[in-house]
Parts: sequence; structure tokens; C-alpha cells
Amino acid sequence: MATRQVYWNVEGHHWLYLFFIVALAIFGYGVYKRVKLWKLGQPENRWKDVWPGIKDVIVYTFAHKRILKDGYPGLMHAGIFFGFLFLAFATAIITLQADFALQIFHGWLYLFIKVTANLFGLAALIGIIVAAYRRYIQRPDRLDNKPDDAITLALLFAILLTGFIIQGARIAVLPDPWAGYAFVGQWMAIPLKAMLNEAQLLSLHVFLWWLHLALAMAFIAYFPYSKLFHILLGPLNQFFRNRGPIGIPEPIDFEDESIETFGKSQLREFSWKALFNTDVCLRCGRCQDNCPAYLSGKHLSPKRIIQDMRVLMEETGVALQEQNKVLAQAAGQEAAAASESEEAEEWTGRALIGEVIPEEDLWACTTCRSCEQQCPVFVEHVDKTIDMRRNLVLMETRFPAEAQLAFRNMENNGNPWGIGWTTRADYLTGLGVKTYEEDPNAEYLYWPGCSGAFDARNQKVSAALVKLLQAAGVHFAILGNDEKCCGDSARKLGNEYLFFSLATENIEVMKGYGVKKIITQCPHCYNFLKNEYPQLGGDFEVIHHTVFLLDLVKSGKLKLSNADRKTVTYHDSCYLGRYNEIYEQPRELLKAVGLNLKEMAHTGEKSFCCGAGGGRMWLEEHEGLRINEMRTDEAIAVKPDYVGTACPFCLTMINDGIAAREAGEQVKALDIAEILEKAL
Amino acid sequence: MAKGIMIIVEQRNLQIRKVSLELLSQGRKIADQTGEPLVAVVLGQGIDELASTVTANGADKVILIDDAKLAEYTTGAYTSVLNKLIRKEEPTAVLLGNTAVGKDLAPRLAQRLGVGLASDCTGMEYDANSFLSFKRPIYAGKAFAYLTSNVRPIMATIRPNTFPLAAPDAARQAEIVKEAAEIDSADLVAILKEVAIAASKRPELTEANIIVSGGRGMKGPENYGILEDLADVVGAAVGASRAAVDSGWKEHKFQVGQTGKTVAPTLYIACGISGAIQHLAGMGSSKFIVAVNKDPEANIFNVADYGIVGDLFEVVPLLTEEFKKLVNE
Repeated sequence: MATRQVYWNVEGHHWLYLFFIVALAIFGYGVYKRVKLWKLGQPENRWKDVWPGIKDVIVYTFAHKRILKDGYPGLMHAGIFFGFLFLAFATAIITLQADFALQIFHGWLYLFIKVTANLFGLAALIGIIVAAYRRYIQRPDRLDNKPDDAITLALLFAILLTGFIIQGARIAVLPDPWAGYAFVGQWMAIPLKAMLNEAQLLSLHVFLWWLHLALAMAFIAYFPYSKLFHILLGPLNQFFRNRGPIGIPEPIDFEDESIETFGKSQLREFSWKALFNTDVCLRCGRCQDNCPAYLSGKHLSPKRIIQDMRVLMEETGVALQEQNKVLAQAAGQEAAAASESEEAEEWTGRALIGEVIPEEDLWACTTCRSCEQQCPVFVEHVDKTIDMRRNLVLMETRFPAEAQLAFRNMENNGNPWGIGWTTRADYLTGLGVKTYEEDPNAEYLYWPGCSGAFDARNQKVSAALVKLLQAAGVHFAILGNDEKCCGDSARKLGNEYLFFSLATENIEVMKGYGVKKIITQCPHCYNFLKNEYPQLGGDFEVIHHTVFLLDLVKSGKLKLSNADRKTVTYHDSCYLGRYNEIYEQPRELLKAVGLNLKEMAHTGEKSFCCGAGGGRMWLEEHEGLRINEMRTDEAIAVKPDYVGTACPFCLTMINDGIAAREAGEQVKALDIAEILEKAL
Repeated sequence: MAKGIMIIVEQRNLQIRKVSLELLSQGRKIADQTGEPLVAVVLGQGIDELASTVTANGADKVILIDDAKLAEYTTGAYTSVLNKLIRKEEPTAVLLGNTAVGKDLAPRLAQRLGVGLASDCTGMEYDANSFLSFKRPIYAGKAFAYLTSNVRPIMATIRPNTFPLAAPDAARQAEIVKEAAEIDSADLVAILKEVAIAASKRPELTEANIIVSGGRGMKGPENYGILEDLADVVGAAVGASRAAVDSGWKEHKFQVGQTGKTVAPTLYIACGISGAIQHLAGMGSSKFIVAVNKDPEANIFNVADYGIVGDLFEVVPLLTEEFKKLVNE
């Protein structure tokens, strides 16, 4: 029967257990230290849904769903991951045989292990060589190198290499009829046999066996002190990930008079999950590689923010320890033990905002969420930015000067431009649209948003959409002058109070009219009405116009001819795509009218923001390239006749980009509703 | 007891700002109505020569506080000096221009004095009950609030271009008083060492009566010359749209619009500006808007009082020529 002797040629292998216990103790201490750091944060319940959590670990760890989205580093990672997965399996089976006297290391299982350990071990070896090549020779911008990276790679490489040589030496000495299954070991045996005699082979084998063992123990001991920790923390973070509507900031209860500060300016105000995140991040840089702010030359890097918070967490841990020491000296040992759990005194180290994270970084974010979307381990960046912006706005009154005007305009007139609120309904009623007051039985509320109501360019989109809805016989009405800004820009700029007042007024008005279903033409309004208003008690069925129009086309209520056979490229809005996973419906609509759809370099989940999200629409862009022009260049590169958009901000930004490139003769930016209207 | 209407005169490089002269003009009227003396306060260094200008523009009494520490405006020093002076003089009203300096100084001063402040007013009249009544636009100019106060002094900042300038009378005489600057060291939190300014003889955007503004249609920074020619003929400031600033043709301080300066001149001449809502938000309340654009569909024509569809490179030089003739007549 196919098997082999465990501990062949090795005497005194029992020392292994002592080494193991030592390694395990170092491992345990390391984990304890990190857990203590995470517990500096506030409590938060992330143990909400177990089965979806397990499913996520299967999908995102074992099936590598997000990791493989970036092909080359993804495959490299897969090689290393599956290599060590099968080697760990082999080790586990051998442990069961050697230490638990289960006679299973033979027959087909033995051969299976031999083949998989060799095959995937080789894949891991190649993966590590590729990783070292990529990190130290190719040096992509997104990777920064620390000693830990080199140590980890060298450790893994040495473990794999010694393993293969040990196998080769054994095969060289001991005739093994099953050697063919251990093909890497067999290749190793050929040069070994040629160079060394049997005695030399035996001593090489035993030396490497102990070395391999020492390396493996070093792996265990080093684990929680190094990036190796991600093997455990990554899947845990996938398990703990937010599965609700994504990117929704925590509401602030302004009625609660016990709240003394708003937003977050201190590390310890964040939840344990936020601190845990910083350890989960292993600096792969996918976030940075897809961040419009970073790519356009701003100082902001999502990776750096998380890593800088990690450094601050460690500094906080050290400072607390020092504090406890001082207390211990002052009050004796008992008091020290008690003070361990007590609240720290005021933080006197580096300030989170300003010293650890520059304020400009907080304002540079467009909240496009590409960082979070690309992160294989679900690190959450954007909500932290919003929390810190809130602190700057609500506590410190420190924000870009331009935001002041937008805030005041929203306060006074319910729109960011400060146009008189009594004129909001003018354009749409001019098109013959009725208000809810005039037509209280309307089935749908049509929510044009500030852009659709006031902005001349986006009024054309409103006109097109109204025409389409009327052609399909949809019974709809508007709120008219009762509508106010949805509060997106206010909230994302950190002015939670303004958002709160705008949103509660809108909710009350809609409830007053008995609104049930809402059609929006702005993804920001869509996201807020659908996902954020429920926080304030506004539960409505909200439908974005692209989804609604597709339903009308599919059900035959909206009959469209084939438009001109032109080429279109679709620019995904962040708040429609990444925030709400509406990628396909807009594209289907474009195809439905016979347009030739071409994709840009960044598309779908990796779509590149237009630069207007997160309230950036109302701020100046002082540093680096202009994000909207970069995106327009991507669009122009596929030589389309139209750039299709589904968001008024995107439309404005792409329009500006086209004007800046003086490409207005070749390409037109149009909302999908406008494109469809041509095919009526 | 008549303690006077005190105008805090703002000067920069020994040039009195227009808004201060406007305040003196209106202050004179009210002084004549009420019999209260009009007191002008000038702070700075080497400011003696300004006394005659201030007098000619209507002051009954001029207080000069001349000190090296007051050469350039700093919040601390000016607050300290004026707080003491106002407490000593006990004027009935204290008025400032709603300029960058006025907006910085007035609230702080009001707080020190423990009085209210009517800010950014667009009107001021004599009121029989409370001496002065101020008009202040609210809800983005949709309504006006009329404010008065029974606390003394009544304090207000007045928006530039609110009052017409009266003709100066060189024959006027006024009492000239020189006061020493007493600055509490606690107030000297910042010391201004140097002011670097880009030299420009044109009026400042937010104060200008006429603005000539260029957008993407200007095609390049080198073409701003034709706008500057026009501006110089009519005494206008030069502005730019965000598109022009983004393209690097003009500095950000010239930008008019949502994220730039908000202006409300009597005449706004928009050249090669499409009229995006972001731009309209910054100049929509101009009294008269003239648009020059070759695209008849441009949105700017929806808000313009006069529209010229044509190539600005032909139209603007023609305008300059015609204005020149008018000015010379």
C-alpha cells in the first residue's frame, strides 16, 4: 500500500512539541497585544448574520472573488494561497497519523497529498518568486516596501524550498515506487544523487528537516506580528463586513442632549471595527490604484489613511501603557490593575486630524467608494472620512470656503445655487407636469432634484424624461416648490445637521401627500431617498429613471424605434453603480435603441468617478489634474458619438471635460433619457 | 446728547476705499438731518494727508490714529485700538464697510462692546425712534429685513455700492484730532510683516460697478488683453468664469461664480461665457447683464438683458471703440 514512514531518518522529533508550545505562546501573546489595541475602539455589533458571513468567506477567501479581479497579482496570490492551503492539509493529515494514531496517511489519500502538495507547492513557489519580482523589480507605485514584506517572502520561500529538498533527499536515498507522484521531489533527487553520496544525503536530509521545522515554528511565532496575520484577519473582516445598503453614514441624534461632540476627531471615538480594519489592511494598494483623487495627483491615498491610523493606534497603545505605569508607581499595584480598564486621560499625542491625516485629504475624497469596492478584505474607508468631516464642520467650523456658500444656499433656498425656492416648480409646470397638490392621486412622485429643476442643461434631461413618461402613460406628479435638496452634498460634506433638516422636511412633505413610489433622475437623490431616508423614518419605494425606463421598455409600454446607429460609451455613476449595483439596466437601455456600446478603460465596478461626488461638486479642485477631464479623456479615447450618463453631476462634469478638450464637435454627453427620447 | 455718527474709514496704501467715501456721503446726509456730528476715524501709518480727503467728503471731526503697528490691518491691533476709542467717544452709531476688513473687524468689535451688529446692509436711513434703521436682504434677496437697535452704539456694516458718492467739498473744515494707539499686548496675536500684492490698477471684483468677464470663449490667456482694454475704458474690473480659471488663464481670485466670488455690479459684461448655473450663482443678481457669445443657444442669453450673438474677438474691440467715443465726449 502506498505510504511512507513519518519521521524517517529523524531522531528526537519529540523536541518538536516543545518548539511548538514556545511558538504558540509567542503567537498567543502577539494576538493578545493586537486584540488589546482593537479594544481601544468603541463597541459595535458586527456579529449580525453568521451564514451570509460564512458564505462571504467562502466566496471572497476560498474562491478569491475580489482578489482575482486584478489578474496578475490575483493569480500570484492564488498560487501562494492554494499552495499553502494544500500543504496545510497535508500537514494536518500527517499530524492526525503521527500524533493521533489515525491510520490515514496511506493509499489514495497519501497519493492525493503527494500530488497536490507537489503541484500546489510548486505554484506557491512560483507565486512567491513572482511576488518578489513584482515588489522589488517591477515596483508598482501602489506597493510600499517594509522589512516585514521581505522577511515574510523569504520565510515562505525558505519553507517551500527546504520542503522540496527534504523530499528529494529522501527519494534519492530510499527507493520509492510512488516517487513519480512527488514530481518536484523527484526532480530534486536527480542532481542531489549526482552530487552527494548516501551518507551526505542522509545528513543533508536531517539537517534540512530541523531547519524546515525551525522555519515553520518561526512562521507561527511571527504570524501575529507581521503581514502573515492577514491570513486570519482577512477572512474575519469579510465575515464582519457590512451587508446592508453600503456607504451609509451613522445618523446623529440631534435630539440627544447628552452628546457633547459630533463627528470624530480622536482615534478612540471610532469603533473597534475601524481599528481592526487598520490591521486587516496589508497595503496591497488596490484602493490607491483606483482612487480618483490619488490618480489625479492629490495627496490623498486611501491606503495611507488606513495605515496612518494604524500607526496612531499603536502610538495610543504605547501611551496608555506608559500612563498605566505611571499610575502604578503612584498608587501601587492594585490600583494599576484596576486602571487598566479605565478610560484614558485626555489624548496628548498626535492629533488624528491635521497631524496624522491632513485636512486636505479629507476634503479631496469624492466618496466614489472605489477604494472599498476594490479591497479584497472589505476595509471601510469612506465612512471614516465622513465622520472626520463632520467633526470639522459641526465642531470646528473648518471647511473649504466654497462650501459655506453651498451650505447657506441650501439652508435658505433648499438648493445649492441659492435660486429662489419659489421658482423650483416653474420649469416642470411649464412642461405641463402637475404637482401633487393639483393631482393628489398620482401613482408616482417624479423627483427631478435640484439639477433637474434649476440647471438649464439638466432641465433638458427633465424634459426628455417627462416626455418618455407621458408617452408610456405613467401617472406622475411632482412636489413642486415643496421639494428641497435631498441633502446628499450636505451630508457628504459633513454638515449632518443641514442634511437632517432638509431630509426631515422632505419626508414630512412626502408623507403628507401620501407618496409611495418615487422616480428620481439623480443617483444621489436616489441613494438618499432609498437608503438614507429610512434612517429618519422615510420609507418609500424609490426607482432610478434608468431602471424604470427599462421596465417600461420591457413591458412594451414604451415603444422605441432604433435610434441612429451611433456609438455610445456609458459612464457609470458611482452612486448608481457601486452604491446601488445598478450597472446593467442603463446599458440594456442603450442597446435597446440599437446603439453600439463601447466600454471605457475603467467601467462597471471599476468606473472612474467624474469628480463631483461627496460634495466635491461645490468645491474647487486646486491640486493636480482635474478628475473630470481625466474621465472625459477615457471616454474620448473610445471614439464615441455620445457619452451616456445617468446622473446630473456626471453630465455636468463630462460636459465641462468635453468643453475643456474642445471636443464638442465629435462627442456629446447626453443623459440616457435624452438618448431614448430621440428614439421615441 | 449728540455723540456723533462714527465711520471707520478703511484705507489701503493711503488710498481711502470707495465704500468708506460712500459711508461718509450717506453719513453726512443723516448728520444734517439729525444734527449729530459725523466723525471719521482713520487708522494707519503716515495718514495725515488723508484728513483732507475725509473732511472734503463730509466729516465734522477726523480722528487720526497713526502708529507703525497699524500700518497694515491686523485683527488684534485694530480691535484693541477701536474698542478703546469707541468707549471713550461714545458715539451713537459706528459704521463700517462690509469688506473683508469690515467683516473681520465689526463682529469682534461688537462683541467687545457688548452690542448687536447689523451686517451686510444695503440701506440705512434716519429713524425717529431708534435713530437709524438698516435694510438687510434675506433669503437670497427675496425679502428685506429692517433692523434697528436701542442699544448704543448702533453698529452696522454696509455693503459696497449701496450709497451714491456725493461730490467732495474741498472748502469744508473739520476738527482734526490725533490719538495715540493703545494696543493691549494680549491683542497682538499676529504681526503682519509683509504684504505681497499683485499690482492691479483696476477696481476689486466685489466692489466694481462694472465687470467685464471672460470665459472659455477667450481661447487663451493672451486674449484677455481685449477685455482689459474694454475694462480700462469703462473703469471696470476683469473677471473670469471657472472654465477660464481651470484652464489656467486667470488666477482664482478673478473667478466669479459658485466657488469663486459673488458679485453684483451695475453692469456685467459676459464674454464667451456659456452661463452654466455655477457661474450664474455668482453674478445673477447683477443689475444689467450683457452677454457676448457666438452660440445663440448659450444659456447666458436666458439671463442677459442684452445679448450679442457674435464672435467676441470682433464684438469686444468694437464695444471698446464705441465706449471710448462716449467717454471722451
